[in-house]
Amino acid sequence: MHSPYPLSAEKPLSEKDRTLLWNDIHIEIREAVGETNFELWFTGFQISHIEKGEVTLLASGSIYALWVDENFKGILLSIFPKYIDPLTNIRIDYSEEAEQEMAEMEASTPEETKKPEILVETISESKLLERGQKAGLVPKFDFENFVVGENSELAWAASQAVANHPGKAYQPLFFHSACGLGKTHLLHAIGWESLRQRPSSKVIFVSAEHFGNDYIHAIQNHSLEAFRKKYREADLLMIDDIQFLGRKDGFQKEFFHTFNMLADRQKQIVLASDCPASEISELEERLSSRFQSGMSAEIYRPGLETRAAILRRKRDDWKMAVSDELIDAIVEHVRGNVRVLEGSLIRVAMVATMNEESIEPGDVGEILADICGGAESANVGMEEIKRAVCEHYDLEHKVLIGKKRTARVAEARQVAMFLCRTMTELSLMDIAAGFGKDHGTVIYAVKKIRKKCETSNSLKSTVELIKRRLVRGGSVKSTTPSPDDYRKRG
Amino acid sequence: MKFQIEKDVFQEALNQVQHVVSTRTTLPILSNVLIEADELGLQLSTTDLDVTITMRVAANVAETGSVTLPARRLASIVRELPTSEINFEVNADNAASVKAGPSFFKILGLPSSEFPTIGEFGEAKEFTIDQKLLKDALRKTSYAISTDETRYVLNGVNCLIGEGLLTLVATDGRRLAMVEQDLEFPAGNETAAIIPTKAVNELQRLVEDKGEMKVSFTDSQASFELNDSHLITKLIEGNYPNFRQVIPGAANHRVTVERETFLNAVKRVSLLANEKTNSIKFAFEDNQLAISANSPEIGEAEEVIDVRYDGPRIVVAFNPEFVMAPLRNLDQDEVYVDLIDESSPGVIKIDEPFLYVIMPMRVAG
Repeated sequence: MHSPYPLSAEKPLSEKDRTLLWNDIHIEIREAVGETNFELWFTGFQISHIEKGEVTLLASGSIYALWVDENFKGILLSIFPKYIDPLTNIRIDYSEEAEQEMAEMEASTPEETKKPEILVETISESKLLERGQKAGLVPKFDFENFVVGENSELAWAASQAVANHPGKAYQPLFFHSACGLGKTHLLHAIGWESLRQRPSSKVIFVSAEHFGNDYIHAIQNHSLEAFRKKYREADLLMIDDIQFLGRKDGFQKEFFHTFNMLADRQKQIVLASDCPASEISELEERLSSRFQSGMSAEIYRPGLETRAAILRRKRDDWKMAVSDELIDAIVEHVRGNVRVLEGSLIRVAMVATMNEESIEPGDVGEILADICGGAESANVGMEEIKRAVCEHYDLEHKVLIGKKRTARVAEARQVAMFLCRTMTELSLMDIAAGFGKDHGTVIYAVKKIRKKCETSNSLKSTVELIKRRLVRGGSVKSTTPSPDDYRKRG
Repeated sequence: MKFQIEKDVFQEALNQVQHVVSTRTTLPILSNVLIEADELGLQLSTTDLDVTITMRVAANVAETGSVTLPARRLASIVRELPTSEINFEVNADNAASVKAGPSFFKILGLPSSEFPTIGEFGEAKEFTIDQKLLKDALRKTSYAISTDETRYVLNGVNCLIGEGLLTLVATDGRRLAMVEQDLEFPAGNETAAIIPTKAVNELQRLVEDKGEMKVSFTDSQASFELNDSHLITKLIEGNYPNFRQVIPGAANHRVTVERETFLNAVKRVSLLANEKTNSIKFAFEDNQLAISANSPEIGEAEEVIDVRYDGPRIVVAFNPEFVMAPLRNLDQDEVYVDLIDESSPGVIKIDEPFLYVIMPMRVAG
């Protein structure tokens, strides 16, 4: 990606640009002044104005403005020119409004429980934005711009319940789905809604990898106390890609205790993974059982209608001139995850603006030729294939990857391997590891199924059916879907 | 007007009041001291329109009356007079004749009617405070007052009375000094006032180690009555920043240092403080504190003193002047330095309710 900086400071920047700029710049400031200092003095800072090279920063209280001006102006003057050009001056001001608000909040803390509703109304959008970002939330992911379809109804409802009644509805809430279907979006949305309703609550959103790095960092710096304080005092802890936790014993132990502590205190935990909790590799039994003890919601591939709804929403958000007919054509062709859908929409919109003649729905296939072709291979994962195969053959996952070699199980296993080989770009070794076999077995399975498909029509149709379900999207669980079902939905 | 007064008494009183008069003033009358003679003695007053000091002294008054005379000039004359008895006589033209033994001075004054009258001191909240308590509290905080005139609310000591405490705070944005003392006062008299630097300085000259004083606050003025003096000052208008947010939470590491040793070591090492950054380094480790300065092109200095500290090595840089200021103004033998890490604010504490927050500078090299 091309860095957009430095921005020109000649003309005033829009509020959105200023927020984004602060978003980027605050990271560097945080590094330069140190975590403690940043938390102490820069919390609540925003860029209130940029014009003619003068940047005005707004602190949430006069003491912060004073302290930053006296102690950190030099640092700011060394960082800002990288982002703003030309830069002549940095002014640090404070908003009396925010100071008042702060004083009131401080005054009201002893009787916090008095009227939380009033707080709900008073939190300003800018303040919410700032708190959310501090919690690790991304502004564009909220409930409002999540398109609910039949593929995500359950996950959506569970998210709402958790955001409205954290710690009471489901403990933990566990999302799983293939990538790009909205797990992360829902996590962020829960975070935003939760903050909106309870501005003073402590929300943390991290990826499992981040959690792990934090842990390592804490060990190296002998700051485990601070680490524990950070995570164990959260009111809402959301961890994305929790499947990555399943590698190091240390993390698991640390996370286990964090989990218990939060659960004991009735704080909400929300987790997201690319596979069901029972299938996260190398996850300790005690953790896996805890993950399964709450609410587990899967997000499926969106069906035709939902895909179209998502793209229409995107088109409106991005203000693109793409007709409904074109969108319908795109979703017909592109069956991949939401990211691929978005990419396709952008491509079509691009081509539409470049060409003088308008595009007909019929041209879409050509425009998106490479995406459509790739979608099949790029967006189906081994876990999904295994799941689809298990469902079709009515097997348990552990049987599929187990040692049992009855005809039906063996065939299912071979079909799964074959699909992994043909539909994904995984290497033989990867596939073999996924089934607990060696790569020779996979080669054999692929050859065998390919050969058998030439002779056996029933096997061929089985393979085709599973394949179609995988690429078509929609609930794989719906029993014996015929192609007609899909047409009816579309 | 005619009176006789002892030189020492008069000199002392003039000394106390003359600091208020400003040297550069557009109003000549403000350089003058108002002398009013009544049956009981003299009352001397000076003002710069913000701060007014009035002092009573004993004198033999033969004829009552009043006059204003140039304060500093009068003080230097009185200081040089050869005898201990001074005779004063002021004629109708406000010219004062001063006779002391063989010396004779004639000083031209201005009529007392031109001297600004102090505005009526409205309904006030009144407190009785121990002089020593206020003296200590002012001494421990006043050095941290900001001299930056663009930040006028910081050009004074913030005085808070509430919750059974008298709290004095001063800060300039890089350090903050605070004293909190128990104080009994009538309910409903909670007060927040910013006393300007000049009044703080004058007050420090007036307060003594014993006795009480009467302090009153209105919304815009404060009055301090003690011994034979009365100081009235305007207060700084505006809201003092919420200084409590500056005070860091629990510290990770505490260092116990002998105050004078610390002060003297810093003083010596600071002679070679880097002129550009004006900082010196403090390395705490293993019951020792190594204070060092490095000034390119000039040289280096280092001094190691014994302290009580068993935490990990911490190196932090401070402006030496900011470290010395509280050390000079404390009496305790031992002080504590509380640290979180290299870049977070450090705190100097003693066994009494005092704290001093100081921002570290970035450790270079």
